[in-house]
Amino acid sequence: MSACSNCSVREKAICQSLCEADLEAMSQMGRRHTIASGETLMWQGDEEMCVGNVIEGVLKLTASTSDGREQTLGICYPSDFIGRPFGRTSSHSVVAVSEAKVCTFPRSAFDRFAQGHPDLEHKLLQRTLTELDRSRQWMVLLGRKSAGERLAAFLLDMADRLGAEDAQGHARFELPFGRQDIADLLGLTIETVSRQITRLREDGVIATPDRRGVIVLDRDRLFDCAGE
Amino acid sequence: MWPYYPDLLATPVPRYTSFPTAAEFGPGVGADDFARALEGADGDISVYVHIPFCEAICWYCGCNTGKANRGERLASYLEALHREIALVGERLPATARVRRVAFGGGSPNAIRPTDFVRLLLGLTQSLPLADPVISVELDPRTLDKPWVDALAGVGVSRASLGVQTFDPALQAAIGREQPAALIERCTDWLRGAGIASLNFDLMYGLPGQDEPALLDTLARTVALAPERVALFGYAHVPHLIPRQRRIDATGLPGTFARFRMAALGQAELVRAGYAGIGFDHFARPDDPLALAAREGRLHRNFQGFTDDAAPVLIGFGASAISSFPELLVQNEKNGGRYRMMLSQDRLPAMLGVRRGAEDRRRGAIVESLLCHGAADLGGAPDAETAARLEPLLERGLARIAGTRLVVTELGLPYSRVIAAAFDPYRQQSARRFSSAV
Repeated sequence: MSACSNCSVREKAICQSLCEADLEAMSQMGRRHTIASGETLMWQGDEEMCVGNVIEGVLKLTASTSDGREQTLGICYPSDFIGRPFGRTSSHSVVAVSEAKVCTFPRSAFDRFAQGHPDLEHKLLQRTLTELDRSRQWMVLLGRKSAGERLAAFLLDMADRLGAEDAQGHARFELPFGRQDIADLLGLTIETVSRQITRLREDGVIATPDRRGVIVLDRDRLFDCAGE
Repeated sequence: MWPYYPDLLATPVPRYTSFPTAAEFGPGVGADDFARALEGADGDISVYVHIPFCEAICWYCGCNTGKANRGERLASYLEALHREIALVGERLPATARVRRVAFGGGSPNAIRPTDFVRLLLGLTQSLPLADPVISVELDPRTLDKPWVDALAGVGVSRASLGVQTFDPALQAAIGREQPAALIERCTDWLRGAGIASLNFDLMYGLPGQDEPALLDTLARTVALAPERVALFGYAHVPHLIPRQRRIDATGLPGTFARFRMAALGQAELVRAGYAGIGFDHFARPDDPLALAAREGRLHRNFQGFTDDAAPVLIGFGASAISSFPELLVQNEKNGGRYRMMLSQDRLPAMLGVRRGAEDRRRGAIVESLLCHGAADLGGAPDAETAARLEPLLERGLARIAGTRLVVTELGLPYSRVIAAAFDPYRQQSARRFSSAV
């Protein structure tokens, strides 16, 4: 039994393709650790030292331009893979937005392992393609949508990635970060974020039972609100 | 059959994938000009990404390419590419829209499919992509299933296969061995991956190639039904391309044999239902390239004839050329220096030429002659141009209709010679034209 047997993302992470023996080998390389909200796991421009899986929490990918502007390139949720195997230097920073648990591998060791395991390399390709899809959606979200559409699309994405069904069959999740963080991620003001959340709640599209909790009451309408 | 004028064919003329041609590029243009041009690029943009690597180097090839066998060099090249994409992205105005992305080389599929997807990821994150049409040049010998998965996953809709010839002996003679079964399998895979417009690159004038061999390749091509075919003449210039020294020159067809092969290729492909596009491309009548040609929307760029109307092309990678209405600029050609400049966050633009009003006027005529077989000269040509045109008009290869110059049916194989009459940078050639008559 490897330490991976009890991993909460075991069925969804990139390692799912591995047999028990290979998983054991991977497990030996891996290091599970917790990073605090706001802490940077990888720095843009640094040598790509590690790669890994998100086990719990949410992280953001950011890049700063040469004139100092910061851009959020995407968000990583549990079971997502972070870092670029066979890469050289990191093209973006990876920053925890909430407290997060990650399982990381030294990049060089992971690269050697992946070379001997075509299944893992194939999974890596699939992951990168998924990352491309998400990145495309994210860019559309930031580029074209109105404030209302952006927030609705963002809530939909989180409901899909973090949501669990409640007794009524509605997707329910805890917002992993505060409204200021959401505003920063979406390029909106905190007032706009609050106004849009209030509107969705008053229209009966979502419910906000407590400070961080969100229940999607009417997914179809949230979808419409997102302009999808 | 087209009339054969060996004196006209003996004169080397550019392919005019740009005007002025790369031969006119000089060191007076660089990163500052490029950066300014980027800041003004506020409309439709096309992007070209150069991957100067191949798994194996074919002996005939004149492209800027090296063997992909050194992983470290490849990884640092890709890193430089990512850096270049980010640097260019920062300089583009918010109103820019990238509508096309083309990967060429070399062989883009000399890199890992995951690295290819990462390049798309970098482009998506750094450039204003507007659901672009994505095209990729592919080497059939190294196309594998993961690569095909990557093409489908990325949403590549156009691909070009380097077929050259189906004849095994000819393939051996040029150092590119790829059995017909391999081409068939690649074609099937690409169809399955959603490639809607597939191109085959073919060659005539190969050492030992005769007309039956060309006919056989054309028949096999037609059977696989690519939407597009490009039929290029092999240019044996070992003094310029040292790797061609490995090719046995004794079997090279002479000028007349080459001329006949070009004519044969044209006739066969047209008979098979392809529309002739310019002087060396062919397309099924419902392919976007054929539609563009019919509707007078054909253009010429570094990849040949195209339906791409964007006024700006940005080339990424070592030796890649960017084109703006008033500027042509080429990146550092040496891979090591290219990587070094990007490691210092410098745009690697090194050479180029500014296009003044007169260049743009002549460039429009050259492009129109090659793409539409006619051009409005806007008035009587100047004395020098008129003198160069005279022997071509006399032979009925072109005719004047009002202020328009029209390439006649007989003149098609001489299109580039006719266009060169408007190229003031080809003065030597002009002297050769006049002495030849």
